[in-house]
Amino acid sequence: MLDVRENILARLVAIVATMPSIKEVFRNNVDLTEDQLPAAAVLDGDEETNDHTDASMRPANRPTLATMTPEIIIFKIAPQVGPDISTLRRELVKAVLYDTQLNEQIVKTGRFGNGAIRYLGCQTDLGWERSMFGALKANFLFKYVLRPNDL
Amino acid sequence: MIDYNALLYDPVYAELGVSAMLTTTAGVFDITVIDDTRAKAQTSNSVEVRSVGPGAFARVPELTSKGIDRADYTNSMLSFNKRMWVVRSFELRGSPNGEDFGEVRFLLRSSDA
Repeated sequence: MLDVRENILARLVAIVATMPSIKEVFRNNVDLTEDQLPAAAVLDGDEETNDHTDASMRPANRPTLATMTPEIIIFKIAPQVGPDISTLRRELVKAVLYDTQLNEQIVKTGRFGNGAIRYLGCQTDLGWERSMFGALKANFLFKYVLRPNDL
Repeated sequence: MIDYNALLYDPVYAELGVSAMLTTTAGVFDITVIDDTRAKAQTSNSVEVRSVGPGAFARVPELTSKGIDRADYTNSMLSFNKRMWVVRSFELRGSPNGEDFGEVRFLLRSSDA
């Protein structure tokens, strides 16, 4: 069994866990407390293929290209949350895009295959709690081969 | 005319109020506040982060009588219930006798750094 989608998501959790400024990393946990911050949440993203345009005679179980758009949200409460969030964003984007295992073994980008990893951008969210609260949601796109035979 | 301070606020503060120390640029003042720290959550995408929104009520007439101007509220230090806070903002809660005889709700933040 080889589930590329799951392998990507699991690897993202492992990558974020290596960030020195992050205290805890969660997968699909939607209920955090301030004591767990600075934290990150990896949220399973939508997966799409372009097969709705393919009405050919191609057998249903042939490989196809899929794209997934997971989200990684980082949270922090601090008096000066702006620079802190910027630092976390910088660490996060670099860690994901440069990860060797993700690029070479899972997604297979560049000379390793026809996969792709893209950073799509981010959105921020601010508010007051005990101190200033900041969240940054980073969006990534992963393109990979979906092989039904491997599932 | 009904005196809301004598009939409402003063008895309530006598029961629920706690001693507090307000430190402004004009000096240090002993006042009475009602702790209004509430649960507060922020939702980003579908993820909720729970914390508290610290706050405290005080009576405007008490502050005025002690020489604490409205301009001194923000960035003053407020200590009560064994915690130290910074007043990051405030909102006036007027009374039927007018805003000068009502309450102010101090919106607080942690004093860390």
